[in-house]
Amino acid sequence: MVRLVDLPPATQNGMRNLDCPTFERKPFVSGPPLRERRIAVVTSAGLVRRGERPFVSGDVDYRVLPGDMPSDQILMTHVSVNFDRTGFQRDINVVHPLDRLRAMATEGVIGSVASTHYSFMGATDPRGMEANARAVAGLLKSDRVDGVLLTPV
Amino acid sequence: MSALAYFLEDEGVPTVAISLIRVQTEKVGNPRSLWVPFELGRPLGPPNDAAFQKNVLATALNLLTATPGPVFLEDYPLDDPTGVDLDSWGPPFALDALEIDLSDEALLQSVLANELRAITPSYQRFVAENRRTTFGVSGLNIDACAAYLAAYLSSPAPANPLPAVSPVQALRWAVDDVKAYYFEAVAAGPGMPSSRQAQGWFWDRTLAARIIIALRKLLLASGDNRTQAIGRMNLVPGVQAIRLGLT
Repeated sequence: MVRLVDLPPATQNGMRNLDCPTFERKPFVSGPPLRERRIAVVTSAGLVRRGERPFVSGDVDYRVLPGDMPSDQILMTHVSVNFDRTGFQRDINVVHPLDRLRAMATEGVIGSVASTHYSFMGATDPRGMEANARAVAGLLKSDRVDGVLLTPV
Repeated sequence: MSALAYFLEDEGVPTVAISLIRVQTEKVGNPRSLWVPFELGRPLGPPNDAAFQKNVLATALNLLTATPGPVFLEDYPLDDPTGVDLDSWGPPFALDALEIDLSDEALLQSVLANELRAITPSYQRFVAENRRTTFGVSGLNIDACAAYLAAYLSSPAPANPLPAVSPVQALRWAVDDVKAYYFEAVAAGPGMPSSRQAQGWFWDRTLAARIIIALRKLLLASGDNRTQAIGRMNLVPGVQAIRLGLT
C-alpha cells in the first residue's frame, strides 16, 4: 500500500481538502506522570468482535472491545479499501497495541492498561459521532482512564 | 480520529492521537498528536516488531505529560524499515488460471475452487503460526464466499447468502473475506513480501482478483447509486484501479 504522498494526485487532493471540523475551544487536560496513567485505546479502524455486525458506510456508533478479548476475536470492518491491511493481518498490535501496552505497564512505563477499549468507523463525518464520543468519554472515566491513545488507519 | 480526540478531551479525558495524514490533524487542531511517516493502515509501523512499536507508543504517550498545549503536533523521526520491497521475494504459488472465460460460471467455479485449494495449505499455516485470522467478516466460509463472487457475475443473480443485508453488501463482505484469505496465505512465506508486493501479486496473478475486477465493472454499470458506490470505492483499491487502468 502507500503513504499519502504516494497516492494518486486526485486521492491526495481529496484527503488534503477533506472538510474537517474545527473547534474554537481548545481543551487540554493535564494528569499525573505517565508511569501512573491508566491507558485505553480508541481506534477508528472499524474493529468489531467476530460475529458482531460489521460497520457500514456512515456508521457513527461505536463498539466495545474488552481488554481480555482474544485477538483472534477481533476483525477489521472499515469500509475503505485504500489502506494497508496486511500489517494488521500479521500483527494486531499494528492498530490495536494492547500487547505492547501491557508490556509497558509491566516495565513501569505506564501505570496500567484499561479494562475496555473502543472502536469507531473512520471515513465518516466525525461531527455525527460527537454524542457517541462523549458517551465513550464517560465510560472511560468510569474505568479510571486518564490517558487515551487514538489510532487511525 | 482527531475530532474524536477533541470530543474526549473536551469531556476531561486526556488524549494523544497518532496521525497518518498530517494535514487533517493540522486542520482539526486536537490537543496532542504524533504524526508518523508510515503507510496508511499501519499507525504503529512494522508488524511483529515489538521494540519499534513500543518506541512509537512511548513517544506518543509521553506527549500526555508535555506542556506546550493547547495544540501540540510532533513528528516521529523514524520510518518503517519493512516498507521496502524484498528483491528476493517471489510468490509461493504457481497460479496459472487467469485466461479462462469469466462468463462460463461452471468453469469459473471449478477453476476458482482449484485456486483456493492451491493456497489453502499456506493460509492454514499462517493461521497456525499467528493463532488468529482476519477472515470472517461475512460469517460465510471461504468456499461460500468464493462461490458467491463467481455466481454474482452470472445471470440470473444468485441467492443472497446473507438475507439480513442487501445482496451487494453481502458481496462486499465476501470480497473482503476472499482478500483476507489470499493475503494471509501469501504472508505465510517463504519470505515476507512488502505490502506493495503482496498487492501486486494478488491483483496481477490471481483469478480471484480478476473476478473482483469484473464485479467492479458490473456494479458500476448498475442503475442503483448504492451499488455503484460499492463498485467504485469498496472492491478495488484506488491505487490498483489506476495502476491497472480500470475505468
